[in-house]
Order: sequence, then C-alpha cells, then structure tokens
Amino acid sequence: MNALATSLSVLYQFGTNTAFLLLCGLGLIVILGMMNIINLAHGELMMLGAYAATASVQRGVPFPLAVIVAFVAVGVFGAVLERLIVRHFYGRELGALVVTWGISLILSQGALVVLGPFMPSIQIPEGSLRAGHFSFSLYWLGLIGVCILLVAALWWLYNRTLFGLQARAVMQNPAMARALGVRAEMIYMLTFSLGAGLAGMSGALLAPTTSIMPFMGQQFVAPAFITVVVGGATNVIAGAVGSSLLLSLVRTPIGFLFGAFLGLVALLLAALIIIRLMPDGISAYLQKLHDRRTRFA
Amino acid sequence: MSDVDKNEGRSSEDGAASAQATGSLLPVTDRRTLMKAAAATGLIAGAPTYLRGLTSLARAQDSSPVKLGFIEDESGNLAVYGIQKLHAAQLAVKEINDGKTLKGAPNIGQGQLGAMAQVASKPPIISKEGTALDVVDDGGAKDHTDLVYDEDDEILVDSGEKGVLGRELSLVSADGQSNNSIWQQLARRMIQEDKVDVLVAGFASAEREAIRPIVDQAKQLYFYTNQYEGGVADANTFCTGPVCEQQVIPTVQYMVEKFGPRAYTIAADYNFGQLTAAWTRAYIPLVGGEIIGEEFIPLSVSEFSQVIARIQQANPDWVMTLLVGQNHHNYYPQAAAAGLKFPMASTVNMAQGYEHKRFAPPSLANMHNAIQYQLEVPTARNRAFVKRWMAMFPDDPYIGEMAQNTYFTIHLYAKAARLAKTTDQETVRKCLELGWNIEAPEGSVFLEPGTHHCAHPIRLAVADENHNVRFVRDWPMIQAWWLQRLGVNLIRNPEYKQYTPDEDPYFKMFGS
Repeated sequence: MNALATSLSVLYQFGTNTAFLLLCGLGLIVILGMMNIINLAHGELMMLGAYAATASVQRGVPFPLAVIVAFVAVGVFGAVLERLIVRHFYGRELGALVVTWGISLILSQGALVVLGPFMPSIQIPEGSLRAGHFSFSLYWLGLIGVCILLVAALWWLYNRTLFGLQARAVMQNPAMARALGVRAEMIYMLTFSLGAGLAGMSGALLAPTTSIMPFMGQQFVAPAFITVVVGGATNVIAGAVGSSLLLSLVRTPIGFLFGAFLGLVALLLAALIIIRLMPDGISAYLQKLHDRRTRFA
Repeated sequence: MSDVDKNEGRSSEDGAASAQATGSLLPVTDRRTLMKAAAATGLIAGAPTYLRGLTSLARAQDSSPVKLGFIEDESGNLAVYGIQKLHAAQLAVKEINDGKTLKGAPNIGQGQLGAMAQVASKPPIISKEGTALDVVDDGGAKDHTDLVYDEDDEILVDSGEKGVLGRELSLVSADGQSNNSIWQQLARRMIQEDKVDVLVAGFASAEREAIRPIVDQAKQLYFYTNQYEGGVADANTFCTGPVCEQQVIPTVQYMVEKFGPRAYTIAADYNFGQLTAAWTRAYIPLVGGEIIGEEFIPLSVSEFSQVIARIQQANPDWVMTLLVGQNHHNYYPQAAAAGLKFPMASTVNMAQGYEHKRFAPPSLANMHNAIQYQLEVPTARNRAFVKRWMAMFPDDPYIGEMAQNTYFTIHLYAKAARLAKTTDQETVRKCLELGWNIEAPEGSVFLEPGTHHCAHPIRLAVADENHNVRFVRDWPMIQAWWLQRLGVNLIRNPEYKQYTPDEDPYFKMFGS
C-alpha cells in the first residue's frame, strides 16, 4: 500500500510538473513554431490572462467561463498587437525580439500603474484525493486533464482544419502558399492571436495557484523558454509535449528525492544536455526519426 | 586611539561653531534663532561632550526639512510588505509633523511596568500537566492588592513642537521594486544626492546586506525595521525588529510540547531562511525535538506540489514554514487544496504577509507564530493605533509586524534627534546609544545600546480553522541576547559585520 501510494504520488508529481511546463510553453511555441518570432512578451500575456480571469471571478463569473474569457480577451489583444506592431517586424528576428521585449515592459509597468502592485488571488477550487499518507489536489488533477484536452484540440486544429493546413503551408513556404492563394497575412495574425490566447488561458488556469501581480509573468518565462528551446520549432505539438514530458521525467525524481532546488538544477542540466545533443530540439529529432522510417517503409 | 583623535577633532570644531553661533545671535531676534541660542548655551553648560553636535548647528539654522530616507518594495514579489511599511512611515511622519510623539525616554521609560492592582491569590495556570498550554483558570477570585504588569492605554502624546527641532520632517521615499540592485542604486542616491539625515529601509535580509556596505562607507545612520535572522553587529545600523532568539525559541518550545518532537522545515533559500532554519535546528534538541527534514526553496518558486509530496512522505508532527514573498505564499492555499493538515509554525508568516486574511480558511489553520506585533494584538493602545491608521488609510487590508516596527522606529528617531538637539548623524547615533524605552503599539520596547537591537514583548499567536487569531502565551519582554552572548558591544568596539550561527559553538553543542 505504501509503495503503491508513493508511486501514485510520484506519478502525480510527474503530471503536475509536465502540466506546468506545457501550460507555460504552449503559447510561446505556437508563435515561435509558426512565425519564427521569439515573443518576449509571453509572460506578460500570461499575466494579462491571469488578471482577466481573476477580475471576472471577482465579478461573479464561474471559473471555467473566466478561463474562456481570458482566452478570448488576450487572443483579441494579441491580434491587435500583431496588426499594430508585430507585423512590421516579420523576417527581422532580432527586431521582433526587441519589440516584444519593449511590449513586455510596457505591459508589466502599465499594469503596475493602472492596477496596483497586487490583487487578491482566486481561491484554488477545493478538494483532494487521498492515498496512504499522500493526497492530491483535484485542481491539479483537473489541470493535467485540461492539458491533454488542449493538446488534442491543437492537434485537431493543425491537422484536421483548413486553417491548420494553410498555417502549415505558410510555415513551410510562405511564398508558395501565397502563390496558391493563401492569405498569409491573415494566417500570421490568427496564429499570433492564437498564441496570445493560449498564453492568456494558461495564465488564467495557473492563476489560482499563484499570486496576481504585474510582474508575475516573469516566473513563467524561464520554464516557458526552456520548454520551447528543448522542444524546438519543427513541430509545435510534438515539441511542446515531448520536451515537457522529458524535462519532467528528469525533474520529478530528483525533486522528490533531493528537494525542489535540486529538481530545478536537474531540469536546467537536462535542458543543456538535450540542446547539445539535439540542437534543433526534440521535435526536429522526432521529425528526423519519422522521416527516416517513412523513407524505408 | 583613533577614537580619541576623532573626539579631539570634534571638540575643536565644536568650539569654532559655537563661536559662530554666538556671533550670529546678536542682530537676529526671531524665535527660532533664540531657541537655537538657548540650546547652544545649554549644551555648552552641561551636556556631555558627545552631545555637543554644534558642527551641525550651522546646518540646523536653515529651516529646510529634516530628510528621512525611506526605501521599501512598493512593487514586485515583496510589495505585500512594502506598502504596509510605507503607510506606517507616512503615518509616523504625519504625527511627528502634527506635534505628536510616542511616550518613551532614554533608559527609563514612561510606561507603567509595575502598578498596584487587585490580583488573585494564586497565579493563573498556563500549563496544566504540561499539555494544555492555553490559560485554563485565572487563579480564582481577586482577593488582594499586589504589583502587576500593566501598560499605558494611550501612548501618543504631545511632543511640544511641530516636526523635529522646529523643522518639518520630510519623507523621501523610493520603491526598491523587490530588486537588490535597484536597492543599491537607491541607497546611493539617498545618501549621496538627497543627503538624508536618517535612512529607514530594508525588507529582505538580502536587501539589507546589499545596501549595508554603502551605508557603512558613508557612516549613514540607518534603521532596519524588519523582523530578521539576527546577528547584524554594525555600528551604523539599528535593528528594531525581533530576531531568532526572541521568536524561534518560544515557538519551537511550544510546538514540541503541544504537537510532538518531529518537525519539518521549509524555508526561503537566502540568508534569512537558511539562518532561521539553523536556529530551529540548533534549538530543537534542547526541548527534546528533532528536525526530520529540511528544504530550502528559491524565492521564484510558486508551485509546491513536490514540496507538499515530500512533506507528506516525511509525515512530521508539525511543519516550520519560513516562506517569504508573494510567490511563496501560494504554498498555503496549495497545501490546503492538497489536503495537508499538519500544524504549522513560523516566525514570519501570518504576522507580516497576513496570509490568514488573503487566503480563505483553512489555508492557515493551526498556524503558530511568536510575534511582537500583528494587527490583532488585544490591547487598548493597539486598538487606538489601528484606529489612527485606518483613519488615514481606510482601504488598507492589514497592519503587519514590520509596519508597526517602522512606525515606532521613526518616532524613536525623532525623540533621539530632539534629545541630541541636532540631526548630526553621529550625535543622534550616540544619543540612541543611551538605550531607549519607547512605548510602541506592541507594548514597551527597549533599544539595547550595546548591540543596537531591541527587547520586545512577545506573544504566541495562533490562527484557528476560521483564521481567527488567539494569543495563547505572552512573554512581557524577551531580550535579543545572542549578540550579547557573543560579546558584541558596538559602543566600545565598533564592528560592521553579520554574525552567523557558525561562529557560535552553541549551535553545534547538541549535535545538529
């Protein structure tokens, strides 16, 4: 019983660690993978999502609805950002890097000026499951479920819809896609908006577990970038899922045996080694494997 | 040797300045100058050499405000504390400029520490058979008159002047943004450009250690008002908050007696958390307990699933939580959501970040903290203080431990400067080193001159299931004795360092 409970607990920790990394990285990797723009305002978009959800909940909106509100609100905000600013920097990666960094500063300092230094958090929805002397938060179990749903929805979007087809076409060869009548500008705007919306949604989902502050985005930026860099931009979904699973696989046992700090150290070390072995990330590696197999088939 | 030289240099300067002062006396007749002159004569006649701050008398003659430099975190991870402290400073400065002061005096104090009253024949029983630690009876009917502990209900009195030394006290404040390098820039700016007369600053020990070298280089009079891990022996720094020996020991003793010997510590991973955990580890064997697990958590961490699982794995009798900042505070709701029900103890949480007000019950249920102050302290003087505060800041959610420290510290500075009759920093510092009693909202505080630390009244606060706070033990005064034990005396032997538990064999005596 005790061994069973311990393994359940380790599995739960693995799930929460993966869900955390995936939620942090999802919006970022969508924008990077499809548009080759490193969005340094990612953390601030998550912050906006958290604020949107928290403000909605405080006005009596039920939490699941508030998450959708955050997705839509930050998605629309992302579209506006893309139209006004980001689109002028397509093809200029360093320019985009600097401009999104500028946006992040404006957003966080603006939030500080307008909304004050902090806001009361949403209460974590209660409830826990017990196994031996371990217990598991239902909310985190729910988040793990939501992550699986999100990945499935993204897979469907990219592989089963016209938008997905066109988006992949634009990503592979924008000139050719344009020649075939795909409105690349539109695809870029929708993709940026989708990435922003996902960031906002992740911020909203993580909001009950964290403090609502203008600079709260910073805590997500490092895990997000590690996940995305390790995942690589070759295939958005494979990259995000593969890297968050692999990194958690390293982090969870070390963190459980030796504490959160060494768990973090192990995660960073693992990222370092993976990038050394697979410079284009896990998704490129998986793609190569896949290509090789199909070639021989 | 060098001290003597400095003193001689000073007295010759004093002479020159006093001659100047007398020279300028004749043609001018306004009240302020007359007061100055009176002060000067008084000083020449009777005050000890070190109080003759006549060098700055010339400076005092202008009516420019006395500048109180103030840095706290108004944004970022530590804003939840910084804003309370800023409001405390604003309240204290307003009261001083309105002509008010807290009761108190060098060395003697004005409280009513001993007063005659009707008391019961037997003392109240606090610990019945060593298990129930709450007061279980009050000693029976009151049947005779005796000396009891008492304190003044009203501590705010007229100071006899508006501001300090007839000058307005002005608050020069800046936001440290919870960022150590910004703290350093701000400290430099306040000392070098604003030339503040006194600096009151510092939340995290990392922030204090970041600016202390700058403070020491400029010989800036500096107050650190936080509760902290202890050990700072710095001739320029006065630490007015309580330290480990005043908090950890009472808390640990109570927890081991009430809940059992096996404790698990989770602490913020910087000097405060590390050293407070070391105190816990060193002291717990003395009361028959042991630390069965210890974990230090970086300040940026806000996700605690693995920490919670590790605590459940260890299954302790109680948990010592030394968590700092808004990221860390998420431990409480996360632990409650995960069904964690261990009794908790702390020296920081609840009293500072008011987690019991920010998170819904039962996140903080069964939290114990030996504090010198938090909003709920059930005394008349505190109720009056809270009322004054809320009149000025009606929207404030809480008044924490350090906000109160900041409040009485600024009043203490004003009192010392008045006694010194100057804002010359060296003179005010020497005046503070007379040792002071000040009547703070928490109770009577004594600034111990040799170590620049304060003896505080300590109360053990406990939050119940609904986050109501009760006080289950009360120590009328606990000394900050550790630096005294190490032989620190900043008056005879100025130092500029922080002692750590490693330097005291006490911490290794019991096999920790």
